[in-house]
Amino acid sequence: MAVNLGMAHVSSDFMIVALLVYSLAVLAFAGDYAFGRPRRATASAAAPEAERSTELAAVGAAVGAAVAAGSASAAEVPAGQAVTGGGSADGAAAGGTAQGVPSPRLGAFRSIWAAGPWVRGAVTLSTVGMLAHLVAVVSRGVAVHRAPWGNMYEFITALTCVAAIFFGYIVVRYRAWALGVFVMGAVVLALGLAETIIYTPAGPLVPALQSYWLSIHVTAMTLATGIFFVAAVLGLLYLVAERYRARIAAGKAQAGNGLLDRIPSAAALDKLTYRTAIFGFPIWTFGVIAGAIWADQAWGRYWGWDPVETWAFITWVIYAAYLHARATAGWRGARAHYIQLLGFASLITNMLVVQVFITGMHSYAGVN
Amino acid sequence: MHAPRSTESAEPSDEATGSFGQDDSGEAGSGTGGTSGPPAASAGWLRWGWRQLTSMRTALVLLCLLALGSVPGSVLPQQGSDPAAVQQYYASHHWLAPWLNRIGLFNVFASPWFAAIYLLLFASLVGCVVPRTFRLAGSARTPPPRAPRNLARLPHSASYASELSPEAAVDAAASVLGGQRFRLRRPASGDVGHDAGHWVSAEKGYLREVGNLIFHLSLLGVLIAIAIGGLFGYKADKLLVEGSTFADTTSALDEFHPGRLVAGSDLAPFSLTLDTFTATYLTSGQSAGQPESFSAKVTYAATPGGQQRTDNIEVNHPLSVDSVKVYLIGHGYAPVFRVTNAKGQVSYEQATPFIPANTGTLLSDGVIKAPDASLGFMGVFVPTAVMTNGTLESLFPAADNPAVSLIGYSGDLGMNSGVPQSVYQLDTTGMTKISGSPHLMYQGQTWKLPGSRGSITYVGTKQWVSLAVTYDPGQIPALVCGLLAIAGLLLSFFVRRRRMFVRAVPAASGAGSVVTVGGLTRSDASGGFEDEFASLSAELAGQDRPAPPNNQSETGA
Amino acid sequence: MFRARRRTVITAATVAAVLLAGALAVTLLTQGNGNASDSMIEYPAGHRPLAPDFTATSLTGTPIKFASYRGKTVVLNFWGSWCPPCRDEAPTLEAVAQQYAPKGVAFLGDDVADTPVNALVFDRGASISYPSVNDPGYAIVQDFSQVAPISDTPTTVVIDRTGHVAGMVLGAATYADLTTLLRDAAVTR
Repeated sequence: MAVNLGMAHVSSDFMIVALLVYSLAVLAFAGDYAFGRPRRATASAAAPEAERSTELAAVGAAVGAAVAAGSASAAEVPAGQAVTGGGSADGAAAGGTAQGVPSPRLGAFRSIWAAGPWVRGAVTLSTVGMLAHLVAVVSRGVAVHRAPWGNMYEFITALTCVAAIFFGYIVVRYRAWALGVFVMGAVVLALGLAETIIYTPAGPLVPALQSYWLSIHVTAMTLATGIFFVAAVLGLLYLVAERYRARIAAGKAQAGNGLLDRIPSAAALDKLTYRTAIFGFPIWTFGVIAGAIWADQAWGRYWGWDPVETWAFITWVIYAAYLHARATAGWRGARAHYIQLLGFASLITNMLVVQVFITGMHSYAGVN
Repeated sequence: MHAPRSTESAEPSDEATGSFGQDDSGEAGSGTGGTSGPPAASAGWLRWGWRQLTSMRTALVLLCLLALGSVPGSVLPQQGSDPAAVQQYYASHHWLAPWLNRIGLFNVFASPWFAAIYLLLFASLVGCVVPRTFRLAGSARTPPPRAPRNLARLPHSASYASELSPEAAVDAAASVLGGQRFRLRRPASGDVGHDAGHWVSAEKGYLREVGNLIFHLSLLGVLIAIAIGGLFGYKADKLLVEGSTFADTTSALDEFHPGRLVAGSDLAPFSLTLDTFTATYLTSGQSAGQPESFSAKVTYAATPGGQQRTDNIEVNHPLSVDSVKVYLIGHGYAPVFRVTNAKGQVSYEQATPFIPANTGTLLSDGVIKAPDASLGFMGVFVPTAVMTNGTLESLFPAADNPAVSLIGYSGDLGMNSGVPQSVYQLDTTGMTKISGSPHLMYQGQTWKLPGSRGSITYVGTKQWVSLAVTYDPGQIPALVCGLLAIAGLLLSFFVRRRRMFVRAVPAASGAGSVVTVGGLTRSDASGGFEDEFASLSAELAGQDRPAPPNNQSETGA
Repeated sequence: MFRARRRTVITAATVAAVLLAGALAVTLLTQGNGNASDSMIEYPAGHRPLAPDFTATSLTGTPIKFASYRGKTVVLNFWGSWCPPCRDEAPTLEAVAQQYAPKGVAFLGDDVADTPVNALVFDRGASISYPSVNDPGYAIVQDFSQVAPISDTPTTVVIDRTGHVAGMVLGAATYADLTTLLRDAAVTR
């Protein structure tokens, strides 16, 4: 079937629009950093509360709950809606003060609205950009009558779309708009790279790729890469936050209201990175298995240590090492994150170096 | 993931929380062998060694080694997949290559040291998983621990006033929790002091550990499936020209890689004829010349003399015969040549496969050996020939204007000496070159060789395909284990092991009671327990009203 | 985290030691396939597999039925004009054929992966007196592979008077191989 050139143009145009709008969103996120209201002191977002309770759980259950109760109930008040059955501090046993039944957190959109005009603008722009990006990816698929991830350019545009959408999800779920500069900034960089250096015009696929397995295997890899992309950005941020925290603890720096203070705490970033990584890991595993099934259909063996297969395996092993590191004494914290970042580096090496420069059966990048 | 020492203390409140609030690795105990050095006695050494092997740290080191060890296997050419490239590497790195070979870097994935890494890793895995399975079975039998004395100390706690008596309040709470499929524990008749009173303990989320174990055991299953395939399976290649037949037997196959326990007679006795091969290419647009489709029409019989069937083998569409699969791997051209002697008698006639040198334009190299005419030819086949600046080039991969360009040699080809030769290489030592420059022939043309040596005619053009024949009995088990691994992974990531405790004491005012709720979850969990705790507490609080017509247990607002 | 680092070093050293031991063990276990490269295989009388029957066309187009050879000892040679060891052993085969013809031994060639023209030209050039059947697709080889371990070309199979496989030579056949096989094949019980 011939390529639908009209749709291909639509795709290119919307991709450029997405890139521009994302860039503006990054500027708005940066503006929030520079000019937005200070975040640590606010009690409105439930993020601090969530942080504290998870921090406690990390340390162990025996820590006195007074701190928890105190700050939680303080946080309760502005968020609070009246709780039926009322109730605070009545007849609790010796020890900590019991609090009332915790209320559900403030709705996500209310929180975003309350966070200030810069955040409002940035999130709106990101959403608009995301929609444009989605239109671009879908129209590319319509133009070529197949899933739009058949070469390197399409793969990168699709995975950045996944990363942007996933970031939207964690903004809503974990109120993590403070990470916008970094995640969306990375998306802009990757998309820019794709548009300029790696661009491939819409075209049909070579016979080896003409299979419904393309939709399954490459889709899974695209999703997983997009998610690991976000995890990597968060991991980098963790390292920055952790170093800052260590310097404050050692007295070499003072907590203030600067750029570094606006980043969420190292502990929160650590949790968030972990939760993102465990989202991506099963998808990557599934992608590798789907790839093996497809390899069996196309090449006669489900695993042949082809360079791309090998590097997908290496990436998998490194992320597995990250998960094991988090459960090993002396390896949590920064060391585990180095491993996670190494895993992402391996993923990028696979995508940009191995697939392009090392000949094997996987050389479908379409990059000349 | 290894054997933790027990960190449970006598205090009931600590019992509930002590070992639970830490990780799977039994954090405090993970210093086994580290806090104290290796013990003196030899049995103690073995135990220490075993603890080391099955510790998380070792798993971590081995995983990193596994990843690191795979890198040379992807960067250096490997004997198993591309022996020609290995030869080239030797040629361009005379000094380095033999040393790399000594440490097995040209066949990494079959090398002993790589095997040692993953075997150790699996030993460590099994050494962890088996005890944990027993422990899981044990914990599935033991009831949840008693509710701690002071629920307010737990990471999640709440309290509310209830209009019901303490007993009734706890009963109501127990029914809510039981409805959510928690396992419950109530005070026993023998409990005294704080263990008496009105409380209920609830625990849920055992599937997490089940998922974890399934995942790790499935990986072991994959390894075993791969081993089965390696022992009982085989891979083979065959190049087949249009119109030819081949029977699946060792002599017929160009390459045969049997598993350790495979004999020639184990091959499935099918035979297959390549009727025609069709390749289509894009004729216009930016990607002109790019392949569009490949299709090999074949006739086959599963047993000698069995029923003949036809099929189309395409890329991504292998043929399945008798649990063996036949794949279309590559293709090329086989021009047909006829050599006649000076008297006009035919001394050689055969379709000669030429091997593509350029995968885009299918310009191919080949050799024609006519030993009984004492003639040999080396040349180039061009499917769509065009002369640019005196060089013969191919414009398009389809055979629209086929031509060959040959250099002829006359003399003894050395084929009677008994030393095997490659079909694609001509040994010209002891032969005389016939003409100065290569001779170009289009299809149908004849080249009359000088010196009354006869002539060679380019009769016609056929195509050939290369087929891969594979049999792997471990394939389906590997797939099943792979899918189980994913299921286990999802369970272990997204199911939370958590405990809820409810205690009720009579209210100071006399009527009703004050109910405290506490919740505890594993610190590594994927989050979301805060929300679950909040909604459960709200539901519990809502249960304690004498039932109004619409019970708004989800209130909070 | 000095303690953690020391633990890691001890762990890494132990792992390395065990790896070396394991590598040694695996090396010993994965010794090469050891395909029996005996060049000659013989079956004693009474333990001989039955040779499969076949019907094929000779290089000149006449039909040949293998069953018609029952009662004679048959030397069946799998060969091709493209195969240097086959070309090398051909004069030996022809000499033995001439020598044993009066003793009721028949020679038959099975020409594989070849065209009749090429094979006939070779036969003429080497003065081969015995016929060959045209078997471009290795069909007859496949049948024989089910009862005897034929793995490559050339292979020479000796079938006794009762139609059972008495022995075979893998690779180019020598005069000594052939005469030994023919002597032992004559013993049919």
